Amino acid sequence: MKQTDPHHSHENCLALFERLSEYIDRELDAPTCKDIEAHIKSCTPCQVCLETLKQTVALCRNLERRQVPETFSLKLKSAIFDLVDKKAD
Amino acid sequence: MPKPSQKTKNDAKDTELVRAINGGRQDLFYELVNRYEKSLYNFGLRMCDNPSDAEDMVQDTFLNVFKYLEGFRYETKFRNWLYRVATSACLKKKRRSKYAPDRELSLDEFLPADESAVSMDLPRWASQPLDQVLGGELAGVIRQAMLDLPEKYRLVVVLRDVEGFTTQETAEILDLTPTNIKVRLHRARLFLREALKSYYETD
Repeated sequence: MKQTDPHHSHENCLALFERLSEYIDRELDAPTCKDIEAHIKSCTPCQVCLETLKQTVALCRNLERRQVPETFSLKLKSAIFDLVDKKAD
Repeated sequence: MPKPSQKTKNDAKDTELVRAINGGRQDLFYELVNRYEKSLYNFGLRMCDNPSDAEDMVQDTFLNVFKYLEGFRYETKFRNWLYRVATSACLKKKRRSKYAPDRELSLDEFLPADESAVSMDLPRWASQPLDQVLGGELAGVIRQAMLDLPEKYRLVVVLRDVEGFTTQETAEILDLTPTNIKVRLHRARLFLREALKSYYETD
């Protein structure tokens, strides 16, 4: 990834790229988070990378859920009724 | 996705129901079905592509749950066990159908090819409020991209990001290590992000 700060190395960007999901999920320890935040603050490509990934995750988490078709729900309950009935015998 | 306190209440209610059913109140099994049919149906849609396969998966899952509920061990959350049964029903179903081929996703394929491919601007789809983008075509793009994901990555991203299981829970459901879950999840998310990016870049 392109650097925007001479103090950054390409390796830093790559290391961060590997851990972005864990960062989003807050699964990293505090010092690692601090390093990532310091890097991101001055690295535009990594900022873009983080924000696009965050939005991707947010989209997955908020996908609309469909209703169960009524015909299927009835069919399912009827199949279960048969089982319950059989077990009760 | 339910809040953690709600999840705890739901888990307690599930355990209470399962104990009652195993204690002889089999009529309460319908309550379990009512609690989970919508979640499982949507899980099926994300995993199997078509509504008829999703319906089969839901039915197979509940029939198996009914069959094996007496053997349920209470140290596991019922919801996790249910999704373990559902995952197995899904995989069985999918073996008989045509789906995205299994392949490994490598981290390298998501890295920019060269400096010119590095984005310096935040794309519009990533900067808009979520409710604006969800109503549009983006939700359809992400749904399709999920189906295009190789199965082992799709399972992880659906369980973690759509169904809201933790890394540890997903590892238990799929019988994998938490590290493995994290690796697959990251690659799956990068795959989905690429799909969103390409959709807008070629639009």
